[in-house]
Amino acid sequence: MMDERELIRRSQKGDGEAFGQLIERYKSKVFKLAYGMIGDRSEADDLAQEVFIKAYYALPKFQFRSEFGTWLYRIAVNQVRDYLRKNRHRLDELSIDELGETIPGVSGSSFEERQLADKRRSLVQTALRRLPDKYRTILALRDMQDLPYEEISRILAISPGTVDSRLHRARKKLREKLAAIVGGKGGDYGL
Amino acid sequence: MDCKQAEWLLLCAFDGPAEDGRRAALRDHLAGCPACRAKASQYGLIRDVLKGSADPGPLPYFRQRVLAKLKEQERTSPVRMWLKWAHRAAAFSLAAFVLFGAGVLLFNPQEPLELTQVETLFLRNENPLSDAASVLDQKGAEDKSMMLIFASADLPRR
Repeated sequence: MMDERELIRRSQKGDGEAFGQLIERYKSKVFKLAYGMIGDRSEADDLAQEVFIKAYYALPKFQFRSEFGTWLYRIAVNQVRDYLRKNRHRLDELSIDELGETIPGVSGSSFEERQLADKRRSLVQTALRRLPDKYRTILALRDMQDLPYEEISRILAISPGTVDSRLHRARKKLREKLAAIVGGKGGDYGL
Repeated sequence: MDCKQAEWLLLCAFDGPAEDGRRAALRDHLAGCPACRAKASQYGLIRDVLKGSADPGPLPYFRQRVLAKLKEQERTSPVRMWLKWAHRAAAFSLAAFVLFGAGVLLFNPQEPLELTQVETLFLRNENPLSDAASVLDQKGAEDKSMMLIFASADLPRR
């Protein structure tokens, strides 16, 4: 298998095959980030494609000063934030039930258990959508992608200390939003 | 342990389990605090959903679709393709311009200086007023005028 540096160099010269291999290596990560922040598979797929297209045209400017993955994540974060800014109203209008349909359920054995798991997932996704972009981004990078603090700090260009405090605030805010959505009927969702 | 410390520990649990002593203290606090128990349950749900987020993965033929889109864009928009290389072209043009400028400055042959007649005379260590003196020394006004006319007729040639 070709070394990543070599793949990048070849892609910079316009080698589609080499860029294809880079896509193969990073498509899941980029998609997962977009999906985690948006919660819709088809939209996340479109966004992930856009990220790779942007990256291809920006590749000649990549000078190996950072990891390629970090650089790509930075493009992805900006792309998703841009999308969220442009589609805020449309996304806000999506109801919990609509969201439930976009999120596939995997856990639980019985139909009821799967339904409950889907409902819980939808609730968290709905609460996530109501968070400011900066909190949503950091939760996607840390709690969904499991990236280390140092890498998140490089992607977002903030100090590791700020990553830590923003992450705590984001989790706290998410819980508050979740509590506000569930209100008095937390028992229905096993909360 | 108070509620604030308990919540701090619940938040830290996202990054990994706390040490045994702290976990036991948290358990004791939760046993006697329904509000924190509710929070713990909500944080637990959030953690499970975020960390174990079902990832359906991108739609099939992702790579092929991206590459096809790129080809399509390059075909329909050569400008975009040009822009991809534009910064290199700009850097190259700038370097060429600087080199050309430096070349012109270094190798431009200087035109020889043309000296006036007075400067030529000074250079030869001669008195530039000697010509004028011979005119002014004429006794007759007519001779003086004639010599001045001849001298002025010579001026354009100098």
